[in-house]
Amino acid sequence: MNARFPAILLWLTLTLAAFAACRSESAPPRFPHQVHLAGIACGVPGKPACLSCVSCHDVATHDSGQRMPQAAVCARCHRDANQVKAVLSVAPVRPSGEISIDHDKHLAMPEIRGQCVPCHAGVVDAKRPPLPPMSQCFSCHEHEQQWAQAQCTPCHEPEALRRTMPTTFLKHDTGFLRHHGSVMAERQQAQLCQSCHTQAQCQACHDVTQDLTVEKRRPEKIESGQVHRGDFMVRHAIEARSQPARCLSCHTVQGCDSCHAARGVSANVANPANPHPPEWVGTNTSSSNFHGTAARRDIVACAACHEAGPATNCIRCHKVGGYGGNPHPRGWKSARGVDSEMCRYCHE
Amino acid sequence: MSPISALTLCLLVAQPSAAEAPRKVAAKDQKAEPVDRFSVNAQSETYVQLYRRALVPGQNGQVVPTELAVPVHEYLFANARDVDAPWQKDSIGLEFAAWGRVWPTDSSIERPFDGDVQTANVRLEAGPAWARVGRQQIAGGAARYARFDGVMVGVAHRGFFLEGYGGFTVLPRWNDQPGYYRLGKAEDTLLTYQLATPKRGNYWLTGARLGYQTAKISGSLSFHNEQATGGVERRNLGLDLGATPLSEASLGASAMLELDSLRLASARVFIDATPHPLFDLGAEFLHTEPALLLSRQSVLSVFSTDGFEEVGGTLTAKLQRWLKLDTNGYIEAYRGTGPGARGEAAARIVLGSAYPTLVRVGYTRVIAPKNGYQALRVSLGRRLSHRLSSTLEAYGYIYDEPVAGYKTSSMYAGTASYQVIDPLEIMWTASVAQSPFAALDAQTMLRATYRFDAAAKPRVY
Repeated sequence: MNARFPAILLWLTLTLAAFAACRSESAPPRFPHQVHLAGIACGVPGKPACLSCVSCHDVATHDSGQRMPQAAVCARCHRDANQVKAVLSVAPVRPSGEISIDHDKHLAMPEIRGQCVPCHAGVVDAKRPPLPPMSQCFSCHEHEQQWAQAQCTPCHEPEALRRTMPTTFLKHDTGFLRHHGSVMAERQQAQLCQSCHTQAQCQACHDVTQDLTVEKRRPEKIESGQVHRGDFMVRHAIEARSQPARCLSCHTVQGCDSCHAARGVSANVANPANPHPPEWVGTNTSSSNFHGTAARRDIVACAACHEAGPATNCIRCHKVGGYGGNPHPRGWKSARGVDSEMCRYCHE
Repeated sequence: MSPISALTLCLLVAQPSAAEAPRKVAAKDQKAEPVDRFSVNAQSETYVQLYRRALVPGQNGQVVPTELAVPVHEYLFANARDVDAPWQKDSIGLEFAAWGRVWPTDSSIERPFDGDVQTANVRLEAGPAWARVGRQQIAGGAARYARFDGVMVGVAHRGFFLEGYGGFTVLPRWNDQPGYYRLGKAEDTLLTYQLATPKRGNYWLTGARLGYQTAKISGSLSFHNEQATGGVERRNLGLDLGATPLSEASLGASAMLELDSLRLASARVFIDATPHPLFDLGAEFLHTEPALLLSRQSVLSVFSTDGFEEVGGTLTAKLQRWLKLDTNGYIEAYRGTGPGARGEAAARIVLGSAYPTLVRVGYTRVIAPKNGYQALRVSLGRRLSHRLSSTLEAYGYIYDEPVAGYKTSSMYAGTASYQVIDPLEIMWTASVAQSPFAALDAQTMLRATYRFDAAAKPRVY
């Protein structure tokens, strides 16, 4: 590997992009609802009757699969049976799965007055979504209450929920991963989060006792921001210094030490490999390499190799009367007395 | 659906396409009683890996012994929801997840068989109250993340909710072996001191959470206490608040107080907004005191309380239907050393719709004390046919300071997935890498996934 690798990667990118562009099919055309509803001369002698939504869609049927128009409906005007078949074969996009909704009940509501377009504005305006966003459902008090009680399945299929990403409320946007723990805490996690997720999904990332990390199990998830992807083995020390304690979200310091010990880079093994720079230990406390400065900033990194209870080598110098001095920072306090087991290691 | 039926379905993982049956019944008989709501799903994942590894890397290119590894992993998952109980319909949920491993080749540190139960619990509802019994987890708030074998109960009324839990902390699976209870695989003989044999009864946790939630505001106060040999491992108080004043904006805050030292272990404030349909914005401030997140039984936890602050944000721009830009940037202020920073800019391009092609190019920059790096990640994903899809990825890194004498590393990976039949998918993946720790790292893996789903569809009128 040499310094030319960015150029190689750039070349690879362009090649892949060109390959993708050449091989991609165009999207199937969107059905021209607007033409059918407002672009055809109708309702006058010599012209066909004007169309409305229910001319083609039987919204009262209880089977969603039968709400698409029958070919016979199209054949009243369109003679090309193949074209009709092709158009009807395009399955409607339901990113959130089928929604359980009583259309009759909704159309009878005074706010809706039998009109389809207030909810399905996208059929006449290509810039708007063909299905109403969830926030529109929440304009009704009943659904807002359901949301507050974390009841998703009255409207959503349980299976669809597992593959649906929220796009309005609780949107899982780019910052969501960083504060998803807080979101879980402020809601009834057992109700809301577990409407879509299982505990096993949480453990795919958080259970570090398993051998296979989530990155190993899901290599095809190329959009994921999982921290351990790529060359994490080399990066892990940099990541740990960059955001001290973030590793503790999932790992224990014993987890760090067990791996370090197996590789001989730990204070807890015989003849350890010493990764520390010159002047790490000594009297030159002003050195940028002095261990005290690093320990003040990121004691978790120290614990990754030096966590060994009473066998911790820090005690040797920093115990009461030791030449390492008092390690407690200014303002230190603890609810425990010095006679507690851990405190007695130094306060003999 | 009765509990016995649900369990039978979970265990047998029988016919995969039963999901359609309730829907057709509903279509034929429009006046029928509402469909009994339930869902049952199960999944099996089998992994076969092949690679060579060096357990103890040599210094400066020294040749070290390597060993061949062909581990086989099996993951099992089963879940049933909305199972009927005698006292209430749709009130029982079951979840089970476990993994096992066979290590068929000779190894100095791996056991021939290994495994663990990750989750095994039953959830019961009765009116506004619920209880969950078995191996489970608590996440967020003062607990952060913890797994335990025990009971969690909750009750909700008029937006208020109260939850309490308690049980024995889940320890690593080999905790019953003297001297081998620590996470990971360090051999006992390497250690210079004798590990104490843990007493299972000394590891337990308990906690509670009181909160209030509506569609627009939510918040909770939580308490978590975790004991380990010697005394308190963690004892925290958490406060989490959230608000969604507009559908275009949400904001939140959280704080965790370490009760032993009465200091703020972490605090976070964030806001997410969509000021325009094309743009998503996020901003966040985080304060952390790392030492307060260590075990209270750690000697090192009393050495430092230096904290650090992080501030930054994210911006997503959906410029075209096929083009999205993701950027984020954070600055860290450490006490005693210079600032750090991290940021990423990525373009996501989707071409085609029937069989879309995804191209993602991302650049990352991390500046941290002592070292940092630049990374370029190029990803390509494409569905080649109804059943076949593939991905290719390339990673390149340039380190600010040499690591073991090398300044760069690179990795190339690819996958090919084939849907053999609806519930069965086979995936093959391979990667090659060159890094400061390995002149050549080549790995390959085969994954077989079998999914079973059965659910009553909600009625669509």
